[in-house]
Amino acid sequence: MSTSVATPEAAPRDAAPEPARPRRSLVPKFLRNPWGQPRFLVAITWTYVAWALVPVVIAILFSFNAGKSRSVWQGFSTRWWWGDPSQSIFHDPQYTQALAHSLFLAGLDMVIATPLGVLLAVGLSRWRGRGSGVSNSLMLVPLVTPEIVMAVSLLVVFTQLALFPFNAIHLGTTAQVIGQVTFSLSYVVVIVRSRLVSIGPEYEEAARDLGATSWAAFRLVLLPLLAPAILASMLIVFALSIDDFVVTQYMSSDASTTTIPMYLYSNARGGTSTPALNALATILVSTTLLAIAVGYLVYSVIGHRTSASRGGVSALRELSGMEA
Amino acid sequence: MPGDVQLRALTKRYDETLAVDAIDASINDGEFFSLLGPSGCGKTTTLRMIAGFVRPTSGEILLDGVDVAQVPPHNRNVHTVFQNYALFPHLNVFDNVAFGLRRKKVAKAEVRRRVEESLELVELGGMAARRPQQLSGGQQQRVALARALVLRPAVLLLDEPLGALDAKIRKQLRLELKALQEEVGITFVFVTHDQEEALSMSDRVAVMSNGRIEQIGTPAEVYESPATVFVADFLGVSNLMDAEAIPEPAREHCTVAIGDFRLRARAGDVTASGPVKVVARPERVELLGHGTERANCLPGMVERTVYVGSSVQVMVRLATGAQLQASIANTGHADDYEQGTPVCVYIPEDALRILGDSGAALAPAGAPDAAPAPETATASA
Repeated sequence: MSTSVATPEAAPRDAAPEPARPRRSLVPKFLRNPWGQPRFLVAITWTYVAWALVPVVIAILFSFNAGKSRSVWQGFSTRWWWGDPSQSIFHDPQYTQALAHSLFLAGLDMVIATPLGVLLAVGLSRWRGRGSGVSNSLMLVPLVTPEIVMAVSLLVVFTQLALFPFNAIHLGTTAQVIGQVTFSLSYVVVIVRSRLVSIGPEYEEAARDLGATSWAAFRLVLLPLLAPAILASMLIVFALSIDDFVVTQYMSSDASTTTIPMYLYSNARGGTSTPALNALATILVSTTLLAIAVGYLVYSVIGHRTSASRGGVSALRELSGMEA
Repeated sequence: MPGDVQLRALTKRYDETLAVDAIDASINDGEFFSLLGPSGCGKTTTLRMIAGFVRPTSGEILLDGVDVAQVPPHNRNVHTVFQNYALFPHLNVFDNVAFGLRRKKVAKAEVRRRVEESLELVELGGMAARRPQQLSGGQQQRVALARALVLRPAVLLLDEPLGALDAKIRKQLRLELKALQEEVGITFVFVTHDQEEALSMSDRVAVMSNGRIEQIGTPAEVYESPATVFVADFLGVSNLMDAEAIPEPAREHCTVAIGDFRLRARAGDVTASGPVKVVARPERVELLGHGTERANCLPGMVERTVYVGSSVQVMVRLATGAQLQASIANTGHADDYEQGTPVCVYIPEDALRILGDSGAALAPAGAPDAAPAPETATASA
């Protein structure tokens, strides 16, 4: 292709020279327009969204299949949800057990990890001096440790180590809760700390200046300002726990400690499974989405309302980035 | 309700850096006292030590004669208006103002009465139910004032309370704040880096630099009779020049040699001899026609003219090589001083101030003419 556009190749014969004609391009006109919509990028985005969501949507649809098949559509029904008196997820004890245990673990994880994480975050933000920098970074290690590594390590520690308190922990619900709290704590710390940074030290100082003791300043000023971050953390911990498979699986003992993801894993490939399995998966997906959505809303609505303008958006970004 | 503060050898050291270096100051009851200086000069650290947020490394803070240096902030009868006000965003205006009273376990009816009274004082009577975010910057600042004043502090500390506001509101609030202070009669300790703010509101100003107090005095004293080169330079454009002082037996004035020219100076350290710095405020410098034969005149040439509205700043390059700025009131003849115009710079002998090179000379208030209005105090330092 010639790059000289401006210089005409021969002297024009006409009195009025023709303006230089734009080169023909293989790229269609609507893509060449630099002011136009970025259609190509939009197309890629939508393709990806469809690619990622369609399988999930199909799985959800088949939970409403009238027949026993999980791949051939036989009409709409709610039998696998509650219609069937023995095989629907709310009647078959295998399903109800997994559901109940998942919710139980998530609830415990939430009420244990959140307060602990808040205290850790506040503590870390005040700790100046030797070791504070190191412990700050170490707090993030559980976030990046491969889950399988953490699960196997915990398993070894709980089953092989003859050292208190590890030898007092037995596989089953206790070990599952401890395992889940161990990794979800970091998420709480990160969320609460980002909020602490955006709040800054002034409000507490103002409270102290107005005669509040340290404890009163924490309770009356810092805690209300942290509320959105705490609520968001709770919901994210809940979602993490409901979703978790690896740690929960390794820490489990018998059938009574089976959770939804564990049940899905062990039955998804079997030919005997009914669309009730899809219903179970649907519950998992929707609970997680709901928890995240509520967390996001709480954080943005309350967070925005109570923090004037400072850092609300960036903290929100941080929060959404966490779950991405 | 007394409220005098004595700082005695107050020092704060952070590892290697000395933030506040053994300062002494005595702030009188009911005084509007400013700590003025550039950022990093230690003024905010000093304020935070008085408030109790920063623990002094050594020294004493006497509040009505009692050393409070080691008393935690919530037990000091000293309250602060923060730079960003730090109004609690989860509480409405009423609860914000009532916060301190409730910590003191004041009876409910009394809380209501005093909150309303202090909101009335700052003219925010109808705003009690609003959230801080629903108020303008100026209103938020007044809530912060009410929140601190409702506790009837002995001393009110203000950490650049006007810094977050835009210029027009700032000027208006300056007047309001001063009027409020006179009304309540509480000692105000005001931290600012804005010389105009400090000069226009304070009873006395402490000019700080590098953790030390350079000079304490009334606004007129620190502006008209700067004790050190730093004070002269920080408070407006100071037209600092190197000179050689030749003392006279009369000791009422002094002859200074600036280059080949000899001028008579009557202000500052008139007993000095040898190399000194001399300053003259731009608004005291006069520009006369070229060739004027008069004492205390220096020939020069207009180098640049800056129109600032109420006045015209004329930069003159003197024959000695030094640059001098003259601030000429804008009377409609601004274009008399075009670039390149030869002029004669007249510095009245009582406007030419000698600063000892040590910078330690503290001159008596040289009985200057009326203190200049802050607006004519030239462009910001």
